[in-house]
Amino acid sequence: MVTPPDPPPPPKASQHARPPFWRNEVILKWVVQVAFLTAFVWLFWIVVTQATANLRATGISFSWDFLREPPGIKLSEGFNTDPATSLEALAAGMVNMLRITWSGIIVATLLGTLIGVSRLSSNWIVSRIANGYIEFFRNIPLLVQIFFWQAIIISAFPDLTAERAGAGWIIPSPKGIAIPWLIPQAGRWQYMALIIAGAVIARLVYRRRIDLQESEGRETHAMAWGVSVLVLFLAAGWFIHPVMGVLGWLFSALAWTMGAAPVLVFQILLAAAAIWAAFHYIKGYLDRRRTPAGMAKMTDEDYFRLSLVGVVGLAAALLFISGTGDTLLSHVLGRTPFFNMNWGLEPLFDFLASRFDFSGGSPLRFTRPEVVVPTRFAQYSQEVGKAFSPGYLSIWTGVTLYTTAFIAELVRAGIMAVPKGQSEASQALGMRRGRRMRLVVLPQAFRIILPPLGSQYLNLAKNTSLGIAVAYAEIVQVGQTIFNQTGQALAVFLIWMGFFAAVSLILSAVVNYYNRKMKLVER
Amino acid sequence: MTADATKTAGTPAIICENVGKWFGDFAALRGVSCTIEHGEVVVVIGPSGSGKSTFIRCINHLENHQQGRIVVDGIELTNDLRNIDAIRREVGMVFQQFNLFPHLTVLGNITLAPIWVRNQTRTQAEETAMSLLERVGIPEQANKYPGQLSGGQQQRVAIARALAMNPKIMLFDEPTSALDPEMIKEVLDVIKELARSDMTTIVVSHEMGFAREVADRVMFFDYGSIVEEGTPEHFFTNPQNERTKLFLSQIL
Ligand SMILES: Nc1ncnc2c1ncn2[C@@H]1O[C@H](COP(=O)(O)OP(=O)(O)O)[C@@H](O)[C@H]1O
Ligand SMILES: [Mg+2]
Repeated sequence: MVTPPDPPPPPKASQHARPPFWRNEVILKWVVQVAFLTAFVWLFWIVVTQATANLRATGISFSWDFLREPPGIKLSEGFNTDPATSLEALAAGMVNMLRITWSGIIVATLLGTLIGVSRLSSNWIVSRIANGYIEFFRNIPLLVQIFFWQAIIISAFPDLTAERAGAGWIIPSPKGIAIPWLIPQAGRWQYMALIIAGAVIARLVYRRRIDLQESEGRETHAMAWGVSVLVLFLAAGWFIHPVMGVLGWLFSALAWTMGAAPVLVFQILLAAAAIWAAFHYIKGYLDRRRTPAGMAKMTDEDYFRLSLVGVVGLAAALLFISGTGDTLLSHVLGRTPFFNMNWGLEPLFDFLASRFDFSGGSPLRFTRPEVVVPTRFAQYSQEVGKAFSPGYLSIWTGVTLYTTAFIAELVRAGIMAVPKGQSEASQALGMRRGRRMRLVVLPQAFRIILPPLGSQYLNLAKNTSLGIAVAYAEIVQVGQTIFNQTGQALAVFLIWMGFFAAVSLILSAVVNYYNRKMKLVER
Repeated sequence: MTADATKTAGTPAIICENVGKWFGDFAALRGVSCTIEHGEVVVVIGPSGSGKSTFIRCINHLENHQQGRIVVDGIELTNDLRNIDAIRREVGMVFQQFNLFPHLTVLGNITLAPIWVRNQTRTQAEETAMSLLERVGIPEQANKYPGQLSGGQQQRVAIARALAMNPKIMLFDEPTSALDPEMIKEVLDVIKELARSDMTTIVVSHEMGFAREVADRVMFFDYGSIVEEGTPEHFFTNPQNERTKLFLSQIL
């Protein structure tokens, strides 16, 4: 192959004449950024001081103390139905919200892809049915759909009565639906660790087989290999999971280290890590701009981004270091440190260590649901099977089926946006339908679908707050009950905002990561 | 392999008998019959909408003909997937709009089908790809993406991509119609070089100079059938049919 001649070096600095500063694009850009930031901080300050003053006037002073007090409510469901503090109640509400979000996202994605592809099917009936689904669910307000599902559950199923006592497979009633369930036993932690290890190894094997296929050009059945490895771990792990008990030792050792090393060490390490991360980012950024012929000219955006990273890194380091100072100070003054930087790592590792041991037995137990009559009223057994409440079922079905319709439309639009010529060109090269889809059409469709798909995920997450309409104990419902009782509206609002912002940011971060990966492939 | 070889020996490259194709009620091909020999270079001309593209797209089954017979290199084109695959192995195609895969590099475009359809190793496929890029004159573009190339370069990559499957027959559907004038020559030169080798070639083109120079035979399409055919000599100096005369007078 002929190597092209080296390109001429990029100019080191701008070769334009300097304009007066009020017409200088660079300076103006910076001025606007700084002015905007100042205005924002100022506005925020006014709002907060005003709100606090108003609250004080009504006799309720803003404080976080209520979080540590008993909430005075019980939750209808969740990992903690009888929370001791408001904080625990809110945490249970958050987990209930996440339960809907993660499973809803997975099901809506799979179902949406299926329906979106069906919509394009050449089979007239299949495509009509898919279209009917999309039109129906997209055009009815979500709240109406949620009420609809609730009405179905409450009215369509026979009541739980003493005559229905006993085990069954699927037991619907106005109290929800109970289904068979795998109930985790003591060994589940070991088993879970083995499965995670298995998934990582399966992924490595899969990559290895793909590489082999590309370098040697024979069919290596990469997918089959990966899946087999995972299945092997799932099956063998059922019996050999006690070996993962060694993790217990590892976690105890970590917990001991955390406990033994003074907090100071962590604070200094964290400060160093913050500086290192900022430095690493800046260095990587500069490296990418370095060509064989010298540095490429940096734009204002580059300078802005680099200085921002530098400032944030330094600020974080300062915070950690001041924490150190605080710890030292509190030693001298004999008060408890204001910043507690152990970050609960020691209790966390202690907790994990206590979960891993070498005990055998199956990690999961298969159980069928049961109707029991402990008092005058029949109810689902808490011990066996799994009962989903009407609230959970209606909100889950509502947001999932609703989002599915939008995702189906995205998938359809994405596939259709790939020009027909792409598929024809690969056909002319002898590729059959499956290869054509996988190697040519879907990679291009995926790039188009990904950004709007991310916003559908965000919508699903945010729409779970409609759980309040069907008395599902998610974060908004729990929060509202708490602020009704304590009057701490502002604090609860801040918690809601913080929580939804965190969920949204994590979701967008994941989507953006894939988006960038796809973009890099493009150009 | 031996079966293929015996087939190739006596039979023409392409036989079409009374081929018909409809889009709804509209008849795009109305009984096209022709025989194209191995190594022959055929240039197809005709007004827009006359069925030229439909005709060559039927040959590799991008369109499904509804009447008559098409036999490519001794293999009859039916709905049998095995036959369709076999014929697509023999036939390469270049499109007016290039249709390169934008998410793959030039090298990725050329090696995709050899690796996944022909089960070649990556190194082997890349070697072939590089020699083909030399042949079409742009080896230095191997690691760029299609979006970074000029139209003429893209079309040359498309030709290399088709050649990488080592076809016996090449179909070109107006390969220069989407190009700026200064790029037409670079693409035509590549096609000329191919035509002079013993590749069976069908080119839909309005480049009359090119047709005169390389065609063994010129076919004139109108309203979905072959109105007139003959050597370029005959065709450009002494056309018989009125419609041919009219078309040539408009285009020349
Ligand atoms: N997919 C299609 N659906 C409907 N009509 C089509 C389709 N493809 C081509 N046609 C029609 O068939 C006729 C022949 O088209 P084509 O073979 O592309 O003509 P040419 O390539 O000679 O310009 C045109 O009238 C065109 O409108
Ligand atoms: Mg055409």
